[in-house]
Amino acid sequence: MIKAEKSLEKTVLSHTGRNDPNRASAARLRPPLPPPPRLPSPTPNPLRRHRRGQAARPIPRLLFQISRHCGCPFARFSSMESSSSSSSPPPAIPTCSDQGVWADASPLLAAACRDLEDGELVHGENFSLFAAMSALEIMDPKMDSGSERSGYNSIEEAIEDGVAPIPLSLDRTLDVQRSIDVMDHLFSCEATWHKGHTLAQTVFTCIYLMRMERTSSHAVLNSFCRVLRATCNAVICVVSTARTHEEEDLFTMSFGLPLKDEWDEKCLSILNSVEETISRQLRACKAQALSKKKTLEGLESLQDNPDLEEDYCRALLCRLRFRKHFHHVVTCMRKPHGRGLELARKHIASCLTELSLMLKSQAFLKSQSNITLQGDENCTTASGSQPVGFDVSLNSRLLSPTPPRAVKVLSWSDAIRYFEKLLHDLDVICASSVGPVLENVLHFIVQFQKSVPDLVPRAFLQTLLVQDGKLYGQYLFSDVISRALSLPAIIGDKEFQMNEFVVQLGQLVVNLLKIICTNTAWQRRKLGKSLQDWSTISIQLELALKREFGETRNDIHHENICIRVSKQLIIWTQEHAYWVASRFLILGFELDLYSPGEYCMVYWYMYVVFTKLIEKIQLRVLAISENSRRKGKKKKDHSKDSTRDRDTSFSSSCLLLQCYVLLSEGLSMMLAVLRNESRSFQLPSIFNTERERFIQHFDLLLKAQIPEHISYYSFKESASRACITDLVKYNFFKETQKIIPSLRGSFANEPEKLAELRRIEQVAEHNRIALNIINQVGAGDPSLKVSFEFTHHPHFAVAIVKRS
Amino acid sequence: MSAAAAVAGSGASSSASGGGDEEAEITYVSYGGEHHLPLVMSLVDAELSEPYSIFTYRYFVYLWPQLTFLAFDAKDGKCVGTVVCKMGEHRGAFRGYIAMLVVLKPYRGKGIATELVTRSIRAMMESGCEEVTLEAEVTNKGALALYGRLGFIRAKRLYRYYLNGVDAFRLKLLFPRPDPGFPPIIGSDRDDQHMDSPYL
Repeated sequence: MIKAEKSLEKTVLSHTGRNDPNRASAARLRPPLPPPPRLPSPTPNPLRRHRRGQAARPIPRLLFQISRHCGCPFARFSSMESSSSSSSPPPAIPTCSDQGVWADASPLLAAACRDLEDGELVHGENFSLFAAMSALEIMDPKMDSGSERSGYNSIEEAIEDGVAPIPLSLDRTLDVQRSIDVMDHLFSCEATWHKGHTLAQTVFTCIYLMRMERTSSHAVLNSFCRVLRATCNAVICVVSTARTHEEEDLFTMSFGLPLKDEWDEKCLSILNSVEETISRQLRACKAQALSKKKTLEGLESLQDNPDLEEDYCRALLCRLRFRKHFHHVVTCMRKPHGRGLELARKHIASCLTELSLMLKSQAFLKSQSNITLQGDENCTTASGSQPVGFDVSLNSRLLSPTPPRAVKVLSWSDAIRYFEKLLHDLDVICASSVGPVLENVLHFIVQFQKSVPDLVPRAFLQTLLVQDGKLYGQYLFSDVISRALSLPAIIGDKEFQMNEFVVQLGQLVVNLLKIICTNTAWQRRKLGKSLQDWSTISIQLELALKREFGETRNDIHHENICIRVSKQLIIWTQEHAYWVASRFLILGFELDLYSPGEYCMVYWYMYVVFTKLIEKIQLRVLAISENSRRKGKKKKDHSKDSTRDRDTSFSSSCLLLQCYVLLSEGLSMMLAVLRNESRSFQLPSIFNTERERFIQHFDLLLKAQIPEHISYYSFKESASRACITDLVKYNFFKETQKIIPSLRGSFANEPEKLAELRRIEQVAEHNRIALNIINQVGAGDPSLKVSFEFTHHPHFAVAIVKRS
Repeated sequence: MSAAAAVAGSGASSSASGGGDEEAEITYVSYGGEHHLPLVMSLVDAELSEPYSIFTYRYFVYLWPQLTFLAFDAKDGKCVGTVVCKMGEHRGAFRGYIAMLVVLKPYRGKGIATELVTRSIRAMMESGCEEVTLEAEVTNKGALALYGRLGFIRAKRLYRYYLNGVDAFRLKLLFPRPDPGFPPIIGSDRDDQHMDSPYL
């Protein structure tokens, strides 16, 4: 179904009037129906829905209603306005002034309506098709964010009605209890915001946050809210900096929200003093418990019930401390050049400690609340009570003029789980020490993405990787490239850095890093689009090389350093083009884009791409060893060791890729055999054939010629020749199993690589067995039922054979 | 243009295809005018999660009435299904687009949706479309299976595409076209690009 919300970036398909003979007659459609009944005076309720299909609409009433009921700024009626990020509240409808007078347009519009026949439209020149598609129906709650009302017309009204009292209760114990509930609900809202909603519909549904100055007499709430708000602000900055596409738009939208004021600089010190006070109180409690005194003396207690004092102190402290440490995590991780990462890890550890203390406090808080709901996993507070001070609809007018998104606040336990995962993801980022070697950086990001991190950690990763146009803010990308070519002489060489190809390649690398830090769906689309860029640069490099130096043999041992550098650059570019292509194909499995009838062609393409990738890596290794040879034996063991390490790592990478080649080839051939001999895994051919599906899936690869000379016919020929005897003879799965033991040695210190080996070993073993069965029974045997499941590896399927 | 004429002219009735346990006779008609619009709207409004304004509906049915079809239960004349589409130039290709497809729950599993979609696609094909595209929720197994059977591929995944936060697949169907390079010389159907490159 078509999406209702149109972003301004999308363009509406324009109709050229081709094959549109009906267009002229559209305005004259006149079905023989009686005129629709006069509509009753509209009120904002579901009655409205039944009027939808009728031609004569109460337009004059509606316009009139906007100024009276909605209070929306007129700008909202037009969809052309993008959500702005100014922090001033939206203007109210202007009252009568010298600029003009309000006049009731109802009679005029009623007359115009009577003039229209059923099915006729008034089309204004400036009401474009895009505007038509983006239009909203005011007062329809499905479309009009401002129409769901809580009954309050403004925050002030809600406050007057006692929705957000300060203090939260005159009973000090209740006051503490309710403060904790507010904190917990804010915590759940914060997690909900992170997960993909707007601030206005989550964290800022809190009236205390919307009117921060009111809380100044309530130290605990005030300090908590200030630090929370400052943290939100900081996180928005990080996500804005990392901004690549529309995923971040909802997150960073803050129109009309009071995100900061002049007291924010001091928010941490305010929190510290509150923490200190409660901490002292807790110590006093514990001391008193030991001395068995009956009254709390000296310090002013938190609340009035001495038996509950210790537990409430603890409950508050862990929440305040979590807030503090989390703020420090964000601040430290924002320090340029990764200077604060080590300290960030300490604060992350503290956060996790406080989170577990928060969980521990739940039993006590539940016992104190009046709620008898057992096991209600949906409650947004530890105690299970609903918090005071929140109203979900007061901010509805601050949202952009699009249909409202459904927001369900995460439960408190889910929020805890979210933050635990978030902190672990951030910790992985802080702990990474991949240095300026591009391969390691790419590998780290791919590995990191396997845990499916959310927007916030991904944004942090991206901003750490690319700062000021440099890797980690320190290394020029031209140097990163020259390091990859293993030509230390040219690292820092100005001419190399300024070379237009190197500059372009550097930009491609920056884009690549940013792309692979985004969510996998968007990532795959962008990777596919970037293939053309990689391919184009590679071709241009070759043409330039030919132009400069004429026809040279494909010889990387050439004396001329310029030629050598150029040739190596070409190989490096091609290698990365194939790497991008392989990621593009693989991600298709993760995103569930392939149907079983298409696995055969996908694995075939993967086999082709992986083979080329290995080829390019080997060429690069060859060039590197050539460079070392030329460098002579000037350097001592150190460089020899690093050379050997690098060679080993290259060869083990190639061996792992070789496993992928074998698995892909084996799976592709097995699927082809099954199709040829048993007619299973066929693709339907009502409107098109396998050829069209091949072209569509691999369109971007084919267009970029990655690799060249590949077409549907290459695949078709290969697949039609597949037979069970060849499959058994070459036994790709067994060959894979032969390689794995040697790789286990090379990957001894890398747990994720070992895990990957285990997975592909399982895949190889299960498929080898399945192949044996298929071979014995006969691929064409009708009793054989083969399905392919991703039970052991996300990309390589395992054949499951059943006999019926 | 009266409703009856619309049926005889472009729609053509047919019996239900697909086995349901009840024998429901289904009539398929092409969009015939304003009297069909409330039927389309109430079906879509009830069954689909995205909200559409009156302008959206009119945009489709006024400009491409020949691509909107309705299915009626012949017994009681109730409208039980509809498909709403458009077509036009898009980035150099003439492309059809399926905007909405709905069949009432009790009438599902009888091939009604398939029939509605098939009629639209045929109309698009005959009008010269090169491809057809649409989006569907990743959780909508029924729709995905239906379109898969017709030859659509899942071209892209769109993260949190809909207002309810659900991802979507962009589905595409490419019609066969005459292949310029057929029969191909092994290895190359790009003879026009004389690229002398050590690429391979």
